[in-house]
Amino acid sequence: MSKESLEHLSSLMDGEMSRDSGMFLTRRLSSDDSICETWERYHLIRDCIRQPGGKQLVTGLSKKLNAKLEAEQPPAMSVWQRKQWLKPVSGLAIATSVAMLAIMVAAPPPGMIPGTAGDSALAQPANQPFVSPNTLPLAPVSQAASFSSSPQTQDQRMNNYLLRHNQMARTAGRQGFVSFVPIVVTQVSADAVEAEKNPQNTQAGIELESIENK
Amino acid sequence: MNKPLRKALLILLFVGASGPVFAAGSAEARELLERMATAMSQLSYQGTFVYVRDGDGAVETMRITHVMDKKGVRERLYSVSGPRREVIRDREGVRCILKDSAAVEENMVVSDSYFPELPQSLFDNKVSGYQLKTGGKARIAGLTARLVTIRPEDGFRYGYDFWLEEETGLLLKWVLFKRDHKALAKLMFTELVVGEGVDLAELESESPAGDFVALRTISPAKNVAVDSTPRWQPDNLPPGFQLASHRQEINADGVFEHMVYSDGLAAVSVYVEQQGGEAAMSQGISRMGTNNAYSTRQGDLQITVIGEVPAVTVKSIATGMASAVASN
Repeated sequence: MSKESLEHLSSLMDGEMSRDSGMFLTRRLSSDDSICETWERYHLIRDCIRQPGGKQLVTGLSKKLNAKLEAEQPPAMSVWQRKQWLKPVSGLAIATSVAMLAIMVAAPPPGMIPGTAGDSALAQPANQPFVSPNTLPLAPVSQAASFSSSPQTQDQRMNNYLLRHNQMARTAGRQGFVSFVPIVVTQVSADAVEAEKNPQNTQAGIELESIENK
Repeated sequence: MNKPLRKALLILLFVGASGPVFAAGSAEARELLERMATAMSQLSYQGTFVYVRDGDGAVETMRITHVMDKKGVRERLYSVSGPRREVIRDREGVRCILKDSAAVEENMVVSDSYFPELPQSLFDNKVSGYQLKTGGKARIAGLTARLVTIRPEDGFRYGYDFWLEEETGLLLKWVLFKRDHKALAKLMFTELVVGEGVDLAELESESPAGDFVALRTISPAKNVAVDSTPRWQPDNLPPGFQLASHRQEINADGVFEHMVYSDGLAAVSVYVEQQGGEAAMSQGISRMGTNNAYSTRQGDLQITVIGEVPAVTVKSIATGMASAVASN
């Protein structure tokens, strides 16, 4: 990337770029991967500066994950089955995993997410089929909160609770301003934990304890 | 004049002088927020902003175009970095495109603006547990911004900083913070144009229409009782919180109740659900973005409390509800 492009990015971050140039650069951001990565890096650097000694930043995970997925042996299936099932499922798995990992600034400590105590998608044996650690529903975009008897995972239930809360809470006078922005912020994962067993392991648990101890 | 008397007079003088000043500051803050709410819905604007969330560490750059003209409100919001995600809202409804499976949170946009208005109760001075005040000025996205702070008076709710553009009242920066003013989430524009400077062409997506999925509202089912009396009320609610709405549903597993408690600004949902074929919920504290949740079980009833409030608030309400259920 040219020095000029880097300077333009820097100007855009500082809000010092002209409108036309800003629009041009924003279009480039949506199509040029390298400039997009630099843009993300700039923000991470800025966050580091603002929080010196802060959390470990994780970058480039999407590439590592893709490389790992490509290296894995596909599960034993007939050619027909592979064509019908493997392609969309693996694609979805990549999408969900990248969604979860790509913009993670600080990976949650082991044990914070159910089923991930000390393990991760990257740590799975190569001969095992890839299983996305993101347990969020796979086709949720038009799914209304449902409380029918059909079995749901815990994360699905929590998502439905949250969805319904945002719908109902608005009528109750909820401020909710930025709760609408997460529509385009990748959901990292529900930080659902068995806090009663290990409350000290969770950020919410730590906050709760510190408040209660005051 | 003796020393104690002089001190008492000084205190009286201070109280007398500062009381109206505080009141005036609060009124000005309320006025500025009302102006912001109007500006965010009525003006046309376009800009790039960064959203940073503590906890799960989400960092996202987004672009928004909001146009208000003869055709009504048209909005387009899309992610500049990360997987391609985009939401469009116009007369035809809300539709989105997701290049990942993201989350059901997409449903939250339905029928409302990305920048929804503040509750009327705030402008009517009917919220409790907060102090409103105006602050200094700063330069954000090349524009002069004025600070308005909604500060929590106790540990049961979060506070908010609003940096508002001086001339238009548009929001340039937003911070959600804990009682100690430690930020939980931030949003800041890096570039913003208003009015005629908005490029209408940006309302058009580069993605084909077939890639979009229409979103639908959660329509109340036929077996929903709205605003009926809840079967249970939490034994002890955090100060200022009152029942704001209630729904009861009957499904195959039994009765499901949803109550919303609000202090006029923050809201907390309480779910009481009969345990059926559902997977067992983990008990205790959970966090989803800036929302905290607390789950507990009482007999065959699952109680879950969720809201954008501190963990201590959801736990307090959940244990109060469990106690009420147990004694009923």
